[in-house]
Amino acid sequence: MTKENKFPDIVFIGQPNCGKSTLFNAIAGLRAQTSNFPGTTVKHTHSKVNVVGKVLNIIDLPGTYSLNPSDPAEKVVLTHLFLEKPDLIVNVVDASILGRSLELTLELIELEYPVVVALNMIDLAEKKGVEIDPKKLENFLGIPVIPTVASHGRGIKELLDVSLQSLEKGLSVSHIKWSRDVEDKIEEMEDHLPEDFPIVGNKRFTAINMISSSKLFFDKILKDTNPSLKVNLDRVRRELEAMHNAPAYEVIAAERHHLAFKIFEESSHIKRGKRISMLDRVDDIIMHPFLGYLILLAVFLGFFFVIFNIGSPLEELLLGPLDSFRNFLSLKLGAGVVFYLVDGLLQGIGGGVAIVLPYFIPLLFLMSFLEDVGYLARVGFLMDTFMHRIGLHGKSVSPFILGFGCNVPAIVSTRILESRRDRIITSLLIPFIPCSARTTIILALVAFYLGPFWALGFYLFNILLLAVLGRVITLFFKTPSPGLILEIPSLKMPSLKNMMRKTYFQLKSFLKFAWPILIAGSVVLGLLQYFNFDKFINLVLSPLVEKGLGLPQELGVTLVFGFLRKELSLIMMLQALGVSYQDLMTIISREQLIVFTVFISFFIPCLSTVAILWKEVGKRVAFLSMGLNTSVAVVISLLVRLILAK
Amino acid sequence: MISLIQAPSDTPLRIAGISGGHGARRRLLALGFHKSDIIELDSRSILRGPVLIKNLTSDTSVALGRGIAQKILVEIIDERK
Repeated sequence: MTKENKFPDIVFIGQPNCGKSTLFNAIAGLRAQTSNFPGTTVKHTHSKVNVVGKVLNIIDLPGTYSLNPSDPAEKVVLTHLFLEKPDLIVNVVDASILGRSLELTLELIELEYPVVVALNMIDLAEKKGVEIDPKKLENFLGIPVIPTVASHGRGIKELLDVSLQSLEKGLSVSHIKWSRDVEDKIEEMEDHLPEDFPIVGNKRFTAINMISSSKLFFDKILKDTNPSLKVNLDRVRRELEAMHNAPAYEVIAAERHHLAFKIFEESSHIKRGKRISMLDRVDDIIMHPFLGYLILLAVFLGFFFVIFNIGSPLEELLLGPLDSFRNFLSLKLGAGVVFYLVDGLLQGIGGGVAIVLPYFIPLLFLMSFLEDVGYLARVGFLMDTFMHRIGLHGKSVSPFILGFGCNVPAIVSTRILESRRDRIITSLLIPFIPCSARTTIILALVAFYLGPFWALGFYLFNILLLAVLGRVITLFFKTPSPGLILEIPSLKMPSLKNMMRKTYFQLKSFLKFAWPILIAGSVVLGLLQYFNFDKFINLVLSPLVEKGLGLPQELGVTLVFGFLRKELSLIMMLQALGVSYQDLMTIISREQLIVFTVFISFFIPCLSTVAILWKEVGKRVAFLSMGLNTSVAVVISLLVRLILAK
Repeated sequence: MISLIQAPSDTPLRIAGISGGHGARRRLLALGFHKSDIIELDSRSILRGPVLIKNLTSDTSVALGRGIAQKILVEIIDERK
């Protein structure tokens, strides 16, 4: 067999929101995450596919507006392109905004790597009254152009066929000329490049990027390593600036921009009298300065009640048989080690199915709906004002909302934020957002026993806490947040297939990673109980658990395990107290239930969250986050206990 | 020439220039906001929130914080011409 790295690499590159991940998914199966928010794919996804007997290594890179990166997610694209020179680039282009999308295409062509264009969302363009002639476009660009509609699987076979052909025959790509005077200056720069200069792509591409590179880091290096080249670079820049009366990088960007629009205009036909679509009208309402907020509130409440109203009857339905089976087992097996083992196993498996899934699945599905419609960016717009009050801006809203699903991808998605300051603050706040695991706990305990309004109150309190913490944390950062620049993608009718795919994909990762932890945790607790070791842990923790929080001593051990997975605490709680779900309230009081939920929700982020914090923003932030969460949890739980005791 | 913040809503405007730091300028360029593009402003927002800008040239929309919107200079397109 050939070695893994011998398979041809095909990378998918496109501007945010061009349907790149949807296309990738349609080809790769169920692996990449997609949504209608700029920057959902923040790290690259690898996948191997077999196309008519040929194995291809396909890679989905984060969306990027240009090859001049301005946030960490975009830098991933550049690093990948230059370090692991791909065999073929599939440039996914949003046909409905072809003019702007072509700017990236032109940049890729300048690189002169083999590129094919997937002219995606061609149906949307037609709806907008833009008719594009792919053949004409092909002639202008000099590379293959294949119209696709990724969400319906249209054009994918053709795209793969053309890609394979290009891989076999090779594809020669050459740049398209700009205005004479600019080209002259670029040539001049090319001539100044020394023999041993690290060339990226080709000489022209390297020269262009030197001219338009951000002055901060590149120039500094050059000044130290090759001062005479730096002198020439500065002269070329100055001359370009004098000729066009604009900074050199703007001159370059303008050349590309004009060329892109020229190609767009000449290869498409725009029908007059474009009608205002229904989605535009909907957009006017959901972005409305007053109605928009009402809708946002309604969406939030709707979200909550839908999940609760689906989850809680299901939970009741599923718990009945589980309990009878447990009773049956305890009669059969007595109180030996076998019973503890089997019971632990059953609690873990059953708990996962009966307590977690009824809430988890509707939550995932609704989240994918909001993402795919394109609502997240709109929430970012609406919430920007409020985010400024806590020292951030609207772009942080999307990571926050993703956090309601799971904190881990939410922290990864902070890469879309341009400034490190915003990334750190957002990453520190995300662990305070009740993720699906904690929502399950809140719904399964608080809403189930005390009523949905208690749970809703809990949520509101949670959001308030987030705001206060944000305010406090930003006090420690002197530099202000840079302002908001956020693209608002057009609203899209979500495809049911894509939403189900996404739900399934996340469910699969729950079943694969989280569920085994739940089961193993329950079994370990069963064993601890059999050997009476749990009593020891409980005793050690009793000053906090019993004296401080006023909870039954037996819950100490469950808090420790909550570090692995938050739901584990919930499932183990029943096991530790030795009651069935229905009888829980006979053992603990309302106050204890709330204090327990508060503590579990806020204390130490779960293991995966800590790991990703460490990886994404560093060890210091990870430790800071653990400390912050634990101290906030202790303080708030104590306060809640005091308030409720009255 | 006026700042985008002072421009009237729902009126075609031409971008005359972008002042301000390199970071914001580059970002706007990448998002397809170039000099002489035609845009339209929707500045309705409560509590001085961000403004919404439709770029009629490229058919895209962007939300901009007020600080950044202030740095975009525009001229009102005279429709009689």
